Amino acid sequence: MITLKDINKTYPGAAPLHVLKDISLNIGRGELVSIMGASGSGKSTLLNILGILDGYDSGEYWLDGKLIKNLSENRAADLRNRMIGFVFQSFNLISYKDAADNVALPLFYQGVGRRKRRALAMEQLEKLGLADRAHHLPGELSGGQKQRVAIARSLITRPSIILADEPTGALDSRTSKEVMQIFRDLNSQQGMTIAIVTHDPGVGEQTNRIIRISDGRIV
Amino acid sequence: MKTSIFDLENWREIGATLSRNKTRTFLTAFGIFWGTAMLAMLLGGEKGLEHKLMSNFEGFATNCAIIGSGRRTISYEGFNKGSYWSITTDDVEALRNGIPEIDAIAALYSVGGISVTDGSTATASMVQGVSPDFPKIFLPVIYDGRFINASDENASHKVCVIGKQVSEKIYGTESPVGQYLSVGGIYYRIVGVAGQTAEVQVGGAKIDEEVIIPMSAMRRNFNLGNSAGDVCILVRQGISPSSLQPRIERILGRAHHIHPDDHNAMFFFDIAEQFEMVEHLFAGVTLLAMFVGISSLIAGIIGVGNIMWVIVKERTNEIGIRRAIGARPSDIVMQILSEGVALTVVAGLSGIVFSTIVLAAAAKMIGPGFDLQLSTALGIMVTFVILGTLAGLIPSLKAMKIKPIEAINDK
Ligand SMILES: Nc1ncnc2c1ncn2[C@@H]1O[C@H](COP(=O)(O)OP(=O)(O)OP(=O)(O)O)[C@@H](O)[C@H]1O
Ligand SMILES: [Mg+2]
Repeated sequence: MITLKDINKTYPGAAPLHVLKDISLNIGRGELVSIMGASGSGKSTLLNILGILDGYDSGEYWLDGKLIKNLSENRAADLRNRMIGFVFQSFNLISYKDAADNVALPLFYQGVGRRKRRALAMEQLEKLGLADRAHHLPGELSGGQKQRVAIARSLITRPSIILADEPTGALDSRTSKEVMQIFRDLNSQQGMTIAIVTHDPGVGEQTNRIIRISDGRIV
Repeated sequence: MKTSIFDLENWREIGATLSRNKTRTFLTAFGIFWGTAMLAMLLGGEKGLEHKLMSNFEGFATNCAIIGSGRRTISYEGFNKGSYWSITTDDVEALRNGIPEIDAIAALYSVGGISVTDGSTATASMVQGVSPDFPKIFLPVIYDGRFINASDENASHKVCVIGKQVSEKIYGTESPVGQYLSVGGIYYRIVGVAGQTAEVQVGGAKIDEEVIIPMSAMRRNFNLGNSAGDVCILVRQGISPSSLQPRIERILGRAHHIHPDDHNAMFFFDIAEQFEMVEHLFAGVTLLAMFVGISSLIAGIIGVGNIMWVIVKERTNEIGIRRAIGARPSDIVMQILSEGVALTVVAGLSGIVFSTIVLAAAAKMIGPGFDLQLSTALGIMVTFVILGTLAGLIPSLKAMKIKPIEAINDK
């Protein structure tokens, strides 16, 4: 599903920072992997590149058989929309839209009609046990519920891969377990490919494989 | 994938975002509403005001002057200060022949309170003698028959034109043309019914309230000798009546022993000058109106630009999320721009509707002309929408540059 070959990334500036150094890695279809490492080791940078939110300087990134390199903003946006689902530590829901509208938003950018969007969003929320919260604003939801809404949103376009950056970072241990259970179920029951960046060894343990990164290199 | 301005979904999205902060949306909308209403009321009201002022002069050749005789204020050639003189029929001919810039010249003499009767109904009316050039200067409205002409004047025909009100008083709705009317005891055949549109009164009454007879008949039947009363002149276009005043004074002064410096012996009223004054006043008012209107327009537009800017700053995180989940840069620009345009259109339309109502009320209370031309309304709207779009352009280009990672990391 994902193949990285000798990826290098340097943040330019007064003191350029070489964050990713010759990263090569494979994530197969249907894998559930975690990326772990010290703070500042380059985990988020790597995930942003995987999510086509950011570019890289050299190397090759293949996603689902496509070379992801030097894409236009439009092409990158379209690929993010169709192939990637994001889950963030701080949820990143839109505060004035209810849960169902938040979940439906990626479909808006595919030109799907409102009625159909809402129906698909409801379906997705139901699967995650949130049907009764569909009309609530994010501010009216608990952290765990917000993250479940975010997961529903990441799933709505049936992406090739889910990328999660510290998805349990803002949750207590019990809710963390619930969220991890959702990821495990998605992986085992639907064969969804998932990559999770985390600090939490407990989270890492629940994945099939841990990719360790230290100072910009895979160890 | 790309959202379009014609897509209903896009408008739903805009509605949702605009209704999110209702107070701020309302305040910005109010700015535009007020700007449009202001401009529309000024542009619409200006015409009404102009109409109101110009109605004084309507039906009135404007490039003319009235000359009247009076008393000498300087003793000269045996005539004492304070002695009267009057314009004669010879003076009229001398002016006509001596000053080629005069296109028309009409003597008029009026006497009030004359008893007018057809034998059964009687009324008191102003009687006015006029020369055949009179209609060239006063542009009377002929309701029936004809006006006094040159042959009436030359032959001192005992004919008259009666004012519309006089006609209604004596003959009701019937046509009086051909009837004989006793004016101060002498019978005149009625040849026409006339009135005027101007508000200006010449000789103390409107044509509608008068009985008009040939000047020659007036002189004979009212024992005026060769007196010509007051004289109206119509001056060739492009020449100011006042510029002829020295030559007129010279001709009349020589004939009537008036001191060359005695400018007060003669009454000279330049109607063109009055007209110009109103026009200048009006140009000033228009300029002021435009200034105020355009200021409010600019204020409204800056308001839109400002709110779009605030919206973009506030929504950096939201825009980042949208970009991360698949919004193209153009989707974001379209969204921000459309919000600005939607706001401008709705508020601008309300402003135009409001001003239309105000102008209709003004038309009812003040007079006609207080209305907003569709083209003016459209012009204001189009200007507002174009400027509103331009004002929203800078903020939306800023929004377009927002990178999803930075925006999301903001939190
Ligand atoms: N946009 C940027 N410009 C410059 N430097 C950056 C930028 N983003 C991250 N960095 C730097 O790159 C390094 C790697 O950052 P990154 O966010 O990938 O770390 P991380 O492994 O995710 O850390 P954490 O566990 O704290 O989230 C850090 O030293 C960080 O300061
Ligand atoms: Mg990180």
